[in-house]
Amino acid sequence: MAYPPKLQAIIDLFQSLPDVGKRENLVLFSEGTRSLEPKQGETFDLEDVRKDEECTDTVGVFLKVDNDNKRGVQFRMTLGPEVQTLTRAMSSILCKGLQGATPEEVLELESDFVPKIVGAELVRQRSQTTYYVLTRMKSACKVYLNRKRVQTGS
Amino acid sequence: MTSYAHPEILVDTAWLEQHLDDPTIRLIESNEDLLLYDTGHIRNAVHIDWRSDLQDDDIRDYISPEKFAALCSRNGITAETTCVFYGDKSNWWATYALWAFRLFGHTKVKLLNGGRDKWKAEGRELTKEKGALALTEYPIPAKRHDDEIRAFFADTLAHSKAGKPLIDVRSPGEFKGEITHMPEYPQEGVLRGGHIPGASSVPWKTAVKEDGTFKTADELKAIYEEGKGLKADGDTVVYCRIGERSSHTWFVLTYLLGHSNVRNYDGSWTEWGNTVRAPIKKGS
Repeated sequence: MAYPPKLQAIIDLFQSLPDVGKRENLVLFSEGTRSLEPKQGETFDLEDVRKDEECTDTVGVFLKVDNDNKRGVQFRMTLGPEVQTLTRAMSSILCKGLQGATPEEVLELESDFVPKIVGAELVRQRSQTTYYVLTRMKSACKVYLNRKRVQTGS
Repeated sequence: MTSYAHPEILVDTAWLEQHLDDPTIRLIESNEDLLLYDTGHIRNAVHIDWRSDLQDDDIRDYISPEKFAALCSRNGITAETTCVFYGDKSNWWATYALWAFRLFGHTKVKLLNGGRDKWKAEGRELTKEKGALALTEYPIPAKRHDDEIRAFFADTLAHSKAGKPLIDVRSPGEFKGEITHMPEYPQEGVLRGGHIPGASSVPWKTAVKEDGTFKTADELKAIYEEGKGLKADGDTVVYCRIGERSSHTWFVLTYLLGHSNVRNYDGSWTEWGNTVRAPIKKGS
């Protein structure tokens, strides 16, 4: 399947790297998570902040959808201090990679790109961690679309 | 005030800072967070992962003596090297790695009290630099000392039937059978919840203070000896879910309280809880 263009670019970057390079870039992505946090005054269509069993600390997902101007989704995230490095990296990658996609595209996104980014070995060892953020983002899009259907009566 | 039975096993952050360039030691970081070492580690530390480096997933066992020798060789460790372990989560994985080194007969081991979190909380330096290590000669261990510090399912079953001391170090909810996985690790659950008949519940965290350092010897004696009746010359088996949290308690009993015969059942609840005809108990 075709991935959203920004995500495809990140996938292409990681696929060109050896395992050591993948790890280095995952760490670099993990270090950029402060920039994912909501900015002062920003409003969102959906805010979902919770502590799940699947993660070591609270993760907040903030979704903004620009349907009218066709700019698609924008995710922002907050990550508690105990959130692990791989989850931080995936948060950063997905916030960047899914920017501009439609909520439907996010919902339909297959998770087979994850091993292409983090490598099969990390997926094998930390499968829960690598898929958690995508699950949360899909969940936010699903709730958003359900609310929209109720509002429009469709 | 009583001192630890083997106080030399622990080093503090100040000691470590002064020994970072000591050629007789090798600093080893072992974490749950697989990429944490790459985000920054203590200078001259190497990274040994509990799973990819120490385990043989094909047979759910530890690596062979040949592979252990190769692991040590590429990490600049000789048979004479003192390995100083540290890691995240109050040294869960560091004590697990230390226990695994002991399985191969490497007895020159120490642990950084408080682990990575304490080092970081004190504002001490972390680096991303990974120095090039020269390969060392590490003799292939003649055997793995499973019979001394490791318990298998059959050993543990016999232990339970004989009414010998069993310590379950998991969370109270796991012990009672209310949950079939560790909090925050639902994918690592088992079919049945509960505990091994005869086991006492002493969560691993009981042994540490807020800052991740160990409680005093008197406090530990009160918990394990006065509270649970464990004896220094007794025969104790500890277990958790996969053997990592129980490594922490194995370390406490063996080195800090000086108990001479403590074994870690690393198959732990993921084996016991799923095994056909293995008896379990629920409740406290």
